[in-house]
Amino acid sequence: MNPVLVLGGGPAGLSAAAELASLGAPVLLVEKEEYWGGNPRRWHYSLLAPDLLPAEEVLNPLVSRVEGAPLIERHLRTTVSRVEPLSSGFRVELKGPETSGWREVSSVVLATGFDHFDSRRKYEYGYGRYPDVIDFKEFEGMIHDDRLTRPSDGALPKRIAWLLCVGSRDVQVGNPWCCRMGCAVSIKQAVEVRQKHPEIDTYVYYMDIRTYGLWEDLYWKSMNEYGVKFIRGRIGQITQAEGGKRLLATGEDTILSRPTEVPFDMIVLASGMEPGTGTKEAAQLFGLPVGPEGFLTPKLSDLNPVESGHPGIFLAGAATGPKAIPDAVTEGMGAALRAYKHARG
Amino acid sequence: MPIVEKSLVEGLERSESLQVEGIDVSGDWNTFIASRVHTDLDLSIVDWVRGQPQGATIDRCWQCGTCTAGCCMHTDYGLEEFNPRYFIYLAQLGYDKELARYAQTVWRCVSCNKCVERCPKGVKVEEVVHSIGTYLELTGTAPKSPADRFDEAYTRNLLARGILDEAGLFQTFEAGEGRTLPTGEKLRMGLRLLLTGRLHTGPLAKRTRGWGRLRPVLERMLSEDLARRRQDLPARLPPKGGP
Repeated sequence: MNPVLVLGGGPAGLSAAAELASLGAPVLLVEKEEYWGGNPRRWHYSLLAPDLLPAEEVLNPLVSRVEGAPLIERHLRTTVSRVEPLSSGFRVELKGPETSGWREVSSVVLATGFDHFDSRRKYEYGYGRYPDVIDFKEFEGMIHDDRLTRPSDGALPKRIAWLLCVGSRDVQVGNPWCCRMGCAVSIKQAVEVRQKHPEIDTYVYYMDIRTYGLWEDLYWKSMNEYGVKFIRGRIGQITQAEGGKRLLATGEDTILSRPTEVPFDMIVLASGMEPGTGTKEAAQLFGLPVGPEGFLTPKLSDLNPVESGHPGIFLAGAATGPKAIPDAVTEGMGAALRAYKHARG
Repeated sequence: MPIVEKSLVEGLERSESLQVEGIDVSGDWNTFIASRVHTDLDLSIVDWVRGQPQGATIDRCWQCGTCTAGCCMHTDYGLEEFNPRYFIYLAQLGYDKELARYAQTVWRCVSCNKCVERCPKGVKVEEVVHSIGTYLELTGTAPKSPADRFDEAYTRNLLARGILDEAGLFQTFEAGEGRTLPTGEKLRMGLRLLLTGRLHTGPLAKRTRGWGRLRPVLERMLSEDLARRRQDLPARLPPKGGP
C-alpha cells in the first residue's frame, strides 16, 4: 500500500497520522514549519479552554505517538509543491531539507489549519504601535511563562482589558464569521491572570459571549469565582493616555447607553481565526473549492465533514473552519478512517 | 460644552435680577452640560457588596433582565426607575454617580423574591439590591429620604425615655420637616386618637424601669453597629450622615 499523505502537523494532522498508523497504514506526514504541534505549539498556548489543561499535556502525547510509530515517515520544513492524479491516488512532489522529489501516495488528509488574524489590520486598536496592546496569541506565551509585565515599562499591570472579536464578525476586514474560540480563550486568560495575580482587575469587552455547550461553565466560573468583569460593547479605538503610560479604550457601555473612555494598563486583542496560508495553498494545489470565507468546504458538512468530495482527499481540523483542539483531533481520527478505507480500495 | 437651547439644560439657574458686589449678573447661569463620557471603572462598590452576607452573589449577574421582567415594583406597579438588573450592573462596574441617582428608589423593593426564584444564575437579587441600598445609605451618597428622617426621629424619641411617645414623635418629626398643621386641627385629631385608644403618650402613662442604666448600653450598641457596618467602606467615599 502506498502511504497516506497527511499534510499538516498540528493537532488534526498528528491525530490523523497516529490513527492511520494504528490501523497499520503507512503514513507520510509533512509539516512546513520546523516543529510539530501547529499553532498551539507556535504560540506556546498556556492552559487550554475549557478544562484548563496545560497545552503540553495534550500536544506532547500526540507528538510522541507520532514519533514512536515506525509506520510514520515524518518531514518538517517540507511542503508539497506539485500534485498529479493517478488512476488510484496521487503523485506529489515534496520539497524539503531531508526529502525532495516525487512520491506516490494512496490518499491525502489535508490538515492545513488556520492562521490567527493579523491584528495590525484593525489599525484603530494600535496593535504594533502601542507596545501594551497585545494580541491574545502572544499573551498565551506571556501567561505560559508567567511574564505578565507590560512590554513598555516592565511593570505589572493593575488593570487589563480583553477585546473580543478582533478580525471576527467584521465586514470591514472581510471576516464576518465567528472564531468560536475567542470568548473562551480570552475568559480563560482572564481566569489565569486572576489565579496568578488576584490583584489585577480584569475586564472583557464583548458583543456576545459564545462559550458554547459545556464550555459555559468556564464563563460562569470566571464571574462567580474569579470576579472577571464583562462590559457589553466593542471598543471603537485605543489611544495612548497619560503621556504614553496607559492606554485609553474608547467605547460605549451599551447597557449604560453612555460613551466610555477608560484607561487600562494593557489591552489584549482576541484575534480571529482565518484560513491558514497552508490551507489556501492546498486548495489551489488540489483544485478544491473553498467557501466564501476561504476555508475548505466538505462536500457534506453535516453527514460527512471529513470528505472533500474529491476522491481520495480528506479534510480535518481548522482547514474547514474555526475549531477547538478536541474537534480537530476527532476530525483527524475520522479523516484517517476514511483515508484508510480509500487506500485499501 | 455650552448649549444654546436652555430648556435642555438640567439644573439651569435663571434669575431676573441678580447683583454681585453691585454688578448686574442677571440671566442664565449653569448653562454648561457635563460630559456624558464615563472615564473610569472602580471596583470598590462591588468589592464592598460582595463582602456583605447579602451581597455575596453579585458577581454572578450577567444582565439578562429576568429579575426586572418579573419585578412587581418595576413591571406590575410600574415604577420604571426601580430596575434591579440595572442597579446590579452599576454596582458591578462602579458607576457610582449613576447609582446615586437611585439611592431613594433602591429601597422600594417589597421583597416578594420572585427575582430570587427566577434568576438563572442564582443571584440573590433581593438581597444584593438591599446590600447596594445599604452601601448608598452608609456612604451618604444620597440625601436622606423622609422615611429615613422619620426612622431617626423615631429612634431618638424611643431612646429618650425608653418608651415611645407618639404625640411627641409627631410634633418633632413635623417640626423637623418644616410642615405644621394648624394647632386647632392637631388638637382635635390628637383628642380623637387619644379617646379611641390609638395614640399612646408613653412617658405620661408608663415608665421603663432602669432606663438610665440601659440607655447608654443601647446607644453604645447602636454606634458600634454603625461603625462595624462602615468599617469596610471604600476610602474613596468617606462615610457621612447615616442614622
